[in-house]
Amino acid sequence: MRHDRGWIALAAIGVGLFLVPVLWEVTDFAVFYLVFLSGILFWVAQATSWNILSGYSGYFSFGQGAFYGVGVYTMAVLFGRHGWNWLLVILIGGVLAMLLGLGIGALAFRLSSLKGEIFALLTLAFPFILAGIVRLFDAIDGGQGVVVPVPSFPELLAPFQKFYFVLSSAVALLALTVAYLMHRTRYGWALFAIRDDEAAAEGLGVPTFFHKMIAIGANGLIGGLSGAVVALNLGFVSVEGTFNLTVPLFVIVMSVLGSRNHWAGPLLGAVYIHTLQNQLASGGFEGWSLIVLGVILVLLMLLAPEGLMARFTRRPALAGGVFVSVLVGLGLLRVWGDPVSWLAAALGATAVVAFLPGGSARVPGLVTAGMMTGDEGDPLDVTSIPPSDGSDGPLLVATDVAKNFGGVKALRGVSMSVVKGELVGLVGPNGSGKTTLVNIVSGAFSPTSGAILLNGTEIVGSRPHRIAHLGIARTYQIPRPFSSLTVRDNVAVAIMFGREPRRLGASRQAAGEYLDLVGLGRLADALPGQVNLHERQLLEMARAIATKPGLLLLDEAMAGLNPVEIDNAVEVVQRIRASGVSIVLVEHLLRVVNQLATRIVVLDQGIVLAEGDPGLVMKDPAVVKAYLGRQADAPGD
Amino acid sequence: MSELQAAIFGALGGSLFGLMALGLSMGWGFLKNINLAHFAMILLGGYLTVDLATNLGMSPVATIVITAPLLFLVGALVQAGFERFDVSEFNSLLISYGLLIITVQVVTNIWTADYQRMAPDVNPLAAESLRIGPFVFPAPTLLAAAFAVALVVLAQFVLEKTYAGRALQAFGQDRQIASAFGIDHRMLGVLLAGASGASAAIAGMLIAVGEPLIPFSPFEWIGRVFAIVILGGIGNVKGTLYAGLLVGAVSGVVALAWGPSASPLVVFSLVVLALVFRPQGLFPRKAGH
Amino acid sequence: MLRVTDLDVYYGDAQALWDISLTVTDAEVVSIVGSNGSGKSTLVNTIMGMLVPRRGRIILDDVDITDMPGHRMCRAGVAIVPEGRRLFPAMTVRDNLDLGAFNPAARARHAESLEWVHTLFPRLAERRAQVAGSLSGGEQQMLALGRALMAQPWLLLMDEPSLGLAPVVVDEVFDAIETVNGEGVSIVLVEQNVQRALDISSRAYLLAEGRIVLEGDAKEMAQNPEVRRAVLGV
Repeated sequence: MRHDRGWIALAAIGVGLFLVPVLWEVTDFAVFYLVFLSGILFWVAQATSWNILSGYSGYFSFGQGAFYGVGVYTMAVLFGRHGWNWLLVILIGGVLAMLLGLGIGALAFRLSSLKGEIFALLTLAFPFILAGIVRLFDAIDGGQGVVVPVPSFPELLAPFQKFYFVLSSAVALLALTVAYLMHRTRYGWALFAIRDDEAAAEGLGVPTFFHKMIAIGANGLIGGLSGAVVALNLGFVSVEGTFNLTVPLFVIVMSVLGSRNHWAGPLLGAVYIHTLQNQLASGGFEGWSLIVLGVILVLLMLLAPEGLMARFTRRPALAGGVFVSVLVGLGLLRVWGDPVSWLAAALGATAVVAFLPGGSARVPGLVTAGMMTGDEGDPLDVTSIPPSDGSDGPLLVATDVAKNFGGVKALRGVSMSVVKGELVGLVGPNGSGKTTLVNIVSGAFSPTSGAILLNGTEIVGSRPHRIAHLGIARTYQIPRPFSSLTVRDNVAVAIMFGREPRRLGASRQAAGEYLDLVGLGRLADALPGQVNLHERQLLEMARAIATKPGLLLLDEAMAGLNPVEIDNAVEVVQRIRASGVSIVLVEHLLRVVNQLATRIVVLDQGIVLAEGDPGLVMKDPAVVKAYLGRQADAPGD
Repeated sequence: MSELQAAIFGALGGSLFGLMALGLSMGWGFLKNINLAHFAMILLGGYLTVDLATNLGMSPVATIVITAPLLFLVGALVQAGFERFDVSEFNSLLISYGLLIITVQVVTNIWTADYQRMAPDVNPLAAESLRIGPFVFPAPTLLAAAFAVALVVLAQFVLEKTYAGRALQAFGQDRQIASAFGIDHRMLGVLLAGASGASAAIAGMLIAVGEPLIPFSPFEWIGRVFAIVILGGIGNVKGTLYAGLLVGAVSGVVALAWGPSASPLVVFSLVVLALVFRPQGLFPRKAGH
Repeated sequence: MLRVTDLDVYYGDAQALWDISLTVTDAEVVSIVGSNGSGKSTLVNTIMGMLVPRRGRIILDDVDITDMPGHRMCRAGVAIVPEGRRLFPAMTVRDNLDLGAFNPAARARHAESLEWVHTLFPRLAERRAQVAGSLSGGEQQMLALGRALMAQPWLLLMDEPSLGLAPVVVDEVFDAIETVNGEGVSIVLVEQNVQRALDISSRAYLLAEGRIVLEGDAKEMAQNPEVRRAVLGV
């Protein structure tokens, strides 16, 4: 239903954009209004395309000017200088900018170090490089600037401003449609998961590199298309006018103002900022425009980094009501200003209302708590053992796995296996290498040497999402939920990208089963930040089994719990095992291991010290020594 | 002009960019703030120098007696604000971007968007030059290089030899343990940010002595200064000077060989390569062992 | 003397410690033993002021230090040898030692402290110009101990000092702890090497799942089967 609202909004925008030129013909509005609206549409396209990469995936870019500039100069050179067909050139501009995006992505996304601020600064370099190239080659610009003549267009679309409005509408609508489609499909959700926790996403089967490339490709494509279109309107383009900081700055301010995690956020921000700029300019306050923008940016970051969109959705009726009544009221009264001033006044009034104190954020868990039907404890048979060859052969075989971190030997040749249906307890003193082993088996680290076979397939060297698809899932000692997604959607992401991928809607429905299995059904609509540690750890488990693993690695899944919660977690682990998943349990609470494990493997200083029946192994003198230190009666050895 | 001469001229000019990068790099490395307002302070330093020298008849170099303490205060206040609102590394970038564009607009409104430069009688240094061996160096460039080297050496000395400096280093490496040994980071942070503001005042003065200013100058500096911060290694004091010299020399030679428009191309390609292959910077921090 | 009474400590909404009370008197070594995750490090970090308890008091020589910020603690006479050593790895041995004496009172006695530390650990004098990150594991542990001593503490909190060290080096570390204690410094020792820890302690507390389940004379604890059960889970 939420999605239908999105389609309705998009369709309304489309119809509105179609009606504007039609109505303009039959009314006596000045050409200025078409220009004003085209300006908004340009920024909608630029900001929305920026937001697909930087908002959705959190890879913050200062390089929007590069994509924009490629579009501008493609039009300037191919159409302006060589007279190619302008429609074709728009498409070429988009494709070239997309290729630039993919090139930057291929360079940056391979390295885990190029994140956050470092990625942002890397993208800052590209507009400078492009500016250098453009200025250097006379065939492009050579520093003189390029004239872009007025193109010929169908008589129906005359005057030029109307024609330009139609082109701008098309690109803006494309941008919004792409952003919306991504928002409601796996392409967007992969990015949300990457933004919240990239390593966890990869571990759940999200091919993160692929999805980041899609995002930066889309950013480039739309940025380039929009740049090519706007070049037609500019008439004359120059290096200084193109590769300055205006475009990168504005798309950031607009998206931050609107919302960075909603498809319509940049749209909202573009309307606000462009209207504001226009009002400042027409009121003779050009000298204030950067001050106002700067103050908005500073205040937003300090007071409301989540943006206006979130404020409006808290009380949509009030916000919508204030907007419409101010706009229509001023329009009917006609005692003050022009239509753009009415719009500015309406926007301003709405923003003021949005920032009034009160109006609670929706706490979804409370709304739906009563709707879930009891019996969350049923051991549903929702997971399946991976196709077995009939025998109880080994599921996982690790041979001589070693791992060095610099000079530190964390693992010094560990061999162990897990048979289908087993629950292996992996124990050992602090620093014995348990978590390192989990990280290697799940693909987060690659071993210095050794082999790991899963169902006979070598998995060393595979990316974590491949290993997830082959049937290994893991949890983290400190839960790493996707913090901006609800509990249900955390699980839905795991299903969407798991071994039996489904679409968003189906995944959301199926998520309930897994939440019930771990007893989280009643919290499905809460955000991870709203539930306690125990519940977050259960969420880790639900998310892991939702990928339908054959083998589940539980890394200290009970750390920090109180005794009652531990008992509950033990019960959940038993239920998961009953559903047919083999488990490796890394745990320091030995009473829990003794209660659950069918077999114990003891690690100490990176080697397997002992393994076997839980009761016997913990009496092994070597194990006793590893845990208690030198025995008073057995010095040294 | 020979390549050698171009390289030397470029390196001397680059040292000024190294000085501009110094405060930014130290703030980033030790306080985890990416403070774009640093450029605003350099701009203010430059304009105040022009204004004070022209209207009060001060010697341009002497204006730092006024501007350095003033911008020390500004830098310290901004840092205190970051501290007060517990601003994250990333948000500091956006907030300080806001402060920067506010400053740019304010400067435009006060001093207009036109180029501002000191009259020759106010700034006699601009016309002077010094012959060393076969080369003739403009005095402003030499002055800038001398200040840059002196300030980097001073910063390095403070960082390595004083308690406060070593406490800053310790804080950059392990905040929690540094605090357990009595290091109060807020005080140190405010002092460092203040010192960095004072260095911005000096950099602004040096720029004003050498060339005309416009309010949008910071946007011409940002790219090159960040290139130097990254090439030098974030928080690496000597590294910023070396990177400044290197970037300057490379720009000089490239500009001579292929024209001035090619130098940003080469410099930023260097940055991309450095980020991909040596994100910790080109210059080793310490000799180790 | 240090008196800790009725501490409840939480990480966010997860309670980590329940109702912890303990005392440490002058020049005594007190061990805190228990299995991994029983709350030992949490207790140390709470005494050090890195975590603020939700309930209970920490009193040092009649001064309530419960809410004292972390950077004031070393002035009150408490220094830490943290788990994993956590030296300032890019700085020299000498810099690390100097920073141990950062607080004004300790700085005034810097020369005296440095001589003391160099006498206790001559290796640190030899390696004064070396970067801390390049030291061997044992040397790093000595440096962590030396850095803490530079603060001229009344009480040392030592968290897993033998972790990850070779057996020979573990002997050296325990010798060093005894030497330091011999100089009159009280020590709270958190150690997974239970036997060794109890050997050099006068008293001990056994922690299990965030609560103190046993306390008393260290030599008696060493013989108590309950300690073995708590640590081994059998």
